[in-house]
Amino acid sequence: MECTRIYSIHDQAITFEFAEIISEEINLHIISLKNAIEDHPFNGFIECVPAYSSLTVYFHNNMDKNEVIKIVNSYNSKLNTNNSTSNNKIITIPVCYEMGEDLSIVTSQLNLSEEEVIRLHSEQSYRVFMIGFTPGFPYMGTLPKVLEMERKKTPSLNIQSGSVAIAGKQTGIYPTNSPGGWHVIGRTPVNMFDKKRTPACFLQAGDIVQFKPITKRAFEQYL
Amino acid sequence: MSITILKPGFMCSIQDLGRRGFQQYGIPISGAMDMQAAKTANRICGNEDEDALLECTLHGTEILIQDTTVFSITGGGSTAILNGQKIPFNKQIKAIAGSIIKLLPSPIGFYAYLAFAGGLKTSLDLGSSSTYNLAALGGKNGKPLEQNDRIELKNSKPNIQHANIVINEHGFGISNWKSTVPQLPHVNDLVEIKCHKGPEWDLFEERSTSAWFNSIFIISQHANRMGFQLEGAQLEKKEKKEMISTAVTKGIVQVTNHGTPIVLMADAQTIGGYPRIGRIFNDDINLLAQCRPGTKIKFVSI
Repeated sequence: MECTRIYSIHDQAITFEFAEIISEEINLHIISLKNAIEDHPFNGFIECVPAYSSLTVYFHNNMDKNEVIKIVNSYNSKLNTNNSTSNNKIITIPVCYEMGEDLSIVTSQLNLSEEEVIRLHSEQSYRVFMIGFTPGFPYMGTLPKVLEMERKKTPSLNIQSGSVAIAGKQTGIYPTNSPGGWHVIGRTPVNMFDKKRTPACFLQAGDIVQFKPITKRAFEQYL
Repeated sequence: MSITILKPGFMCSIQDLGRRGFQQYGIPISGAMDMQAAKTANRICGNEDEDALLECTLHGTEILIQDTTVFSITGGGSTAILNGQKIPFNKQIKAIAGSIIKLLPSPIGFYAYLAFAGGLKTSLDLGSSSTYNLAALGGKNGKPLEQNDRIELKNSKPNIQHANIVINEHGFGISNWKSTVPQLPHVNDLVEIKCHKGPEWDLFEERSTSAWFNSIFIISQHANRMGFQLEGAQLEKKEKKEMISTAVTKGIVQVTNHGTPIVLMADAQTIGGYPRIGRIFNDDINLLAQCRPGTKIKFVSI
């Protein structure tokens, strides 16, 4: 897969863009490229940040920008998309849907029953495209078409940590109490971010997630 | 060896050169807003560049020095008073136990750095002591400093401990030499900041791109460690087009849907979805960090 655009966001950071669409195939390629760089880091490499359809590479100021572009391009040309290793292990995340504070708004706007929303959200698996917004927040997709909903007109000021929410084609989990504009349809007892844990983040880009509905009692027992 | 925060002032937090390697998990780099001033403060005290120090936003901070120590203050945003006497920035200062540092208002600069010989003894979160409040990382319990917080100091190098500084009748002494530092902006200055065209430069109307390099912007009251919002020309896109979120970092200028530019600073989010009209020239980010709300900025194309 060829880059469609290469540009700097800092003297020591270059973004390699592969498309301007959200696609699982492109994201898979980006994660493979990230893994290839991390497995064999070049001299001066600091870190990679994968996003939906781009990979940004950070490096020390002793490295020349054009040299980094050359190195990353060579990694990229050696990647065979067919060989791109998908991490097929499915990570199950329990969700108590009755704790979703916006579930009633979602059911009435989408004209679905609670059972249908829960079934639709939990019967398929999702790809973690990237982590961002706040530490540990996974952007996951792709949501079934019938669950697509616009963001709230006015963001909520305090969404509880563990809130499982939806927006457009995406679903996500708020790791800490924070403001947010996505509709909350459930809550997970799993801690998405814990600085004392290694790794601190429960999920990373490229993971496959499956939600499992649980009762409020099971939620409380989990804690 | 320790110091105690008597008053935190506007905001006083522990910082270092930041947290690297965790942006893919949504964790910002953080670290000092003015990296150069922070490094200078540490070097004056014989510390490593990476040592933890205090970052004070404007004035109001008061600190009690519990044990005789060498320290330095760099950057700006305040006038420093030690035991009632004004002290210079960018010099080595030795103060006896019980001395009190107070930061009073000054019209120059935005962030001051207080380094103590040996550096602050802090715990590391993900490799750094930089305070990042949102995820409770670094600093003292992941928060900016509060009244009565006590911070231990590491042992300083012997040559600093025994620095030949004569203590005066006010309980402190000042080194003869001074570190050379760039001049910091006065709040009434018009500051020129060099800027590259951003990745989405072509998405903006010509009227807006022309305004970016030809009109004057003012740092708004919404200026903090995450970013500096700017007041001035409204920047419009040629057409309404949603961007797919991608990596952003310190120095990137995002434009919100309301047409307001925001320069991302030390606690910059790792991923953003707004079009980016500019990218501040790396060497000018420290200068911009010292421009407090109200300062006029002219962006110069490079």
